[in-house]
Amino acid sequence: MAVGTESFLHLSRPLAPQSISNQPTTSPLNVVVLPQAIFSILDHAVRKDNPSSRVIGALLGVRSEDGLEVEVRNCFAIPHTENEDQVEVDVEYQKSMLALQLRANPREVLLGWYTTSLELNNFSGLIQNFFASPETGTFPHPALHLTVSTDSGKEIDAKAYISAPVGVNAERAAESCLFIAVPYEIRYNEADKSGLELASGAKDVEQRTAPIISDIEGLECAIDHTIDLLERVSEYVNMVLDEEREPSNALGQFLMNALSLAPKVDVADIERDFNNHVQDVLVISYLANTIRTQIELSQRLATSTLTMGGTDVLSAAGEGGEKREGQGGDRGGKRGGRGGNRGGRGGGQKREPGEPNE
Amino acid sequence: MAEAPITSVQVEALVVLKIAKACAATFPTTATGSIVGMEVNGTLEITNSFPFPTADIAASDSHPNDHMAASNIAAAAPRSKSNATYQNEMIKCLKEVNVDANNAGWYTSANMGNFINISLIENQYHYQKEINERTVALVHDVSRSAQGVLSLRAFRLSSSFMSAFPEGKFTTEHMQKTKLTYKDILIELPIIVHNSHLLTTYLHQLPGSLPKAEPEFPASLADLNKFSPDIPLYPNIDSLDISIDPYLERTCDQLLDSIETHYTELNNFQYFQRQLAREQTKVTTWKTKRTAENATRAAQKLAPLPEDEWERLFKLPTEPSRLEGMLNARQVDQYSKQVDGFTASITSKMFAVKSNLLPGQ
Repeated sequence: MAVGTESFLHLSRPLAPQSISNQPTTSPLNVVVLPQAIFSILDHAVRKDNPSSRVIGALLGVRSEDGLEVEVRNCFAIPHTENEDQVEVDVEYQKSMLALQLRANPREVLLGWYTTSLELNNFSGLIQNFFASPETGTFPHPALHLTVSTDSGKEIDAKAYISAPVGVNAERAAESCLFIAVPYEIRYNEADKSGLELASGAKDVEQRTAPIISDIEGLECAIDHTIDLLERVSEYVNMVLDEEREPSNALGQFLMNALSLAPKVDVADIERDFNNHVQDVLVISYLANTIRTQIELSQRLATSTLTMGGTDVLSAAGEGGEKREGQGGDRGGKRGGRGGNRGGRGGGQKREPGEPNE
Repeated sequence: MAEAPITSVQVEALVVLKIAKACAATFPTTATGSIVGMEVNGTLEITNSFPFPTADIAASDSHPNDHMAASNIAAAAPRSKSNATYQNEMIKCLKEVNVDANNAGWYTSANMGNFINISLIENQYHYQKEINERTVALVHDVSRSAQGVLSLRAFRLSSSFMSAFPEGKFTTEHMQKTKLTYKDILIELPIIVHNSHLLTTYLHQLPGSLPKAEPEFPASLADLNKFSPDIPLYPNIDSLDISIDPYLERTCDQLLDSIETHYTELNNFQYFQRQLAREQTKVTTWKTKRTAENATRAAQKLAPLPEDEWERLFKLPTEPSRLEGMLNARQVDQYSKQVDGFTASITSKMFAVKSNLLPGQ
C-alpha cells in the first residue's frame, strides 16, 4: 500500500573532508511520507500570499532508531520572504510553533523542511544548513528536504533530498551544500483509508465536494465497482474465446488461480451458517430497537402529566402532581426494565452460538 | 450576530485526514483537538485542525490498562484552562500563515458510537457559550471508519438545551414546561468533504487512474504478480468485508451498559420518590397534629400557632437530575440506528454470499 518511486540507484555519498564534516556518516535514508503531510503542504501552497513565490515549512515525524528510515507525519508552515539577494526566515515563529507542535505530539521530532517548488537554489542551501545545524536543526541526523511542485495546471511532483556539506571555501560553507536525492514513498495506512476514499470520491466532481455517505451507500458503490470489474474481465475472456483478442497465458493462469480460491463447501453447512448469522443480526437489530422504544417510552412517561380519572391534578404546591408523575416514571421504568432483561438474555443467547462460528 | 443558524458543515480533506490520524494514533483512548474555520452563509467551513497536548497521557503509557483514566483526561481537555491558552497561541501562529483564525469548535474520537455522554455536552456547552456560539463538535468514530465507510459527524447543542443547561434544572416539572426531550439535546449537521484545486490534481495522480495506453501482456505469472497495479482509493473495497460477530458482540455489550445506566437512573429516582413520600407523610402527621393543637388552643382562647412552620422543620429531598437519563436515551437511540445501518448492509452482503456459493437455490 504505498506509492513510491519505482527504482532507485543507491550510490554512496561523496565523503566530505573530515575537517569540514563533523557529521557522522549516514547511509541513504528511506523516506516515508504520510498523506496528511502532503495535504498540509498543498493547503499551505493554496494559502500563500504571493502566488508566484514559493513557501516553506518544517517537516515533523518519527525517525527509526538507526536513523535509516524517517516517516514524515506532520508539517507546519513558516513565514519567510525571499527576493533577489536575500532570504528571511521567521526563526522565532519556527521555534514557538515547533514547541507548540511537540507539546501535542511528544513523539515527533523535527525532520527537515519542505518548499513548494522543485527548484534548488542558493537559498535552499542556506535554509538547509539552518535546518541541519546542531543548534536549530536535526543534527546529527541529516535534514530532509522535500520539494513539491505546485504549479497550477501541471502534475504535482515531489522530490526528497538530504544534504552533504561541500567545501567551497570557509566563508561560503554556510550557504553551500550538496543535495542528494533520496527515494521516498507515500504510504497511507488503514486509518486514513476511509478518509482518502471520501476525498478521492470528490476528485471527479466539479464542486470538489462529496457528502459523507452511509454504510449502505458505500456498499452499493463498492459492489457496482466490483461488478464493473468482473464484467470487464468476462468481456476479455469472451473476446479471447471468439478469437478477437490475443490470449495471454499469464492472465489465464492468474484467472485460474483466482477462481480456484472459491471455497468448496457443503450446501448444508452454508445454509446453517447463513441462517445462524442472519438470525443473530436480526435479533440484535430487533432487540436494539425494542430497547430504544422502551427507554423512549420511559422517558415520555417520566415527563408526561397523567390525568386519569379527572381527580384533582396538580394539587397544592404541585406535590400531588409530582407524585403522580413519579408514578408515571415508575411505570415507564418497569417497562424499560423488562425490555432490559430481555435484551440481556438475548445478548447472552446470541453470543453462545456466535462464537464457535468465527 | 443574529444570523441564520449553521445548516451544514464543510470539512477540508486535510482536516479529515488530520483528525483520522490523531484519533487512530491514540485509539482506544479518546483523542480531542481543536478545529478552525470560517462561516459562510450558514455553512461552517472547517479548514484546519490541531490536537490538544497530551503530555499526561504520554507519561502513563507504561500502563496500557489505565487508558480509561487517560480517556477521561483527554475528554476533559477541550474545556481545561491550559488548553484554552494553547489553542489561542496555536491560532495566533496559524494566523500568520494565512490559515483561518477563527475557532470553529473541537473534535473527539469515538468507539462504535459511544460518544454521547456528559463530557461531550459540557465541552460543546463550553464552546458554544464562552468561545464562539457558532461552533460544532466533530465526532470521528475510529472503529466504524475502519470498516470501510468514514464515520465523521457534526453536532451542536440546541438553543433550548443551551438555555436549560446552566440552570441545571432537569426536573420533571421543568421538563414538562420546556417540552425538552432527549431528542432535542443535540442537533446533527450534514457534513460534506471539500478538496482544494491542488488537492484534486494530486488525487488524480494517486493510484486510481488506469494506464492510458493498452498495456503489454505480461510474459509470465510472476511478472503479473510483480507489477500488479495499485488498488484505487475509491471506491473502498473494504466495505465488502464480511465480519459480523465482533460487531454484534460489541453492540450487545454497549446496549447492556446502557441498560445498566438506565437501571441506575431508575433506582435513583425511585429512591427519591420513597424519600419524598416518607417526608410527606411526616409533614401530613405534623400538620394534623398542629391543627388539632390549634383547635385545643382555640378552645382555650389562645392565639393559634402558625401552620406553615413545617417548611422549616422538614426538608423535602431534591429531585435527581434527569439529564443522565436523557443522554442515555439519546445514546441508545444512536446505537439502535447504528445497528439498523449495519443490519441493512450486512444482510445484503450475506444474501449475496449465499447466492454466490449456492447458485440456483
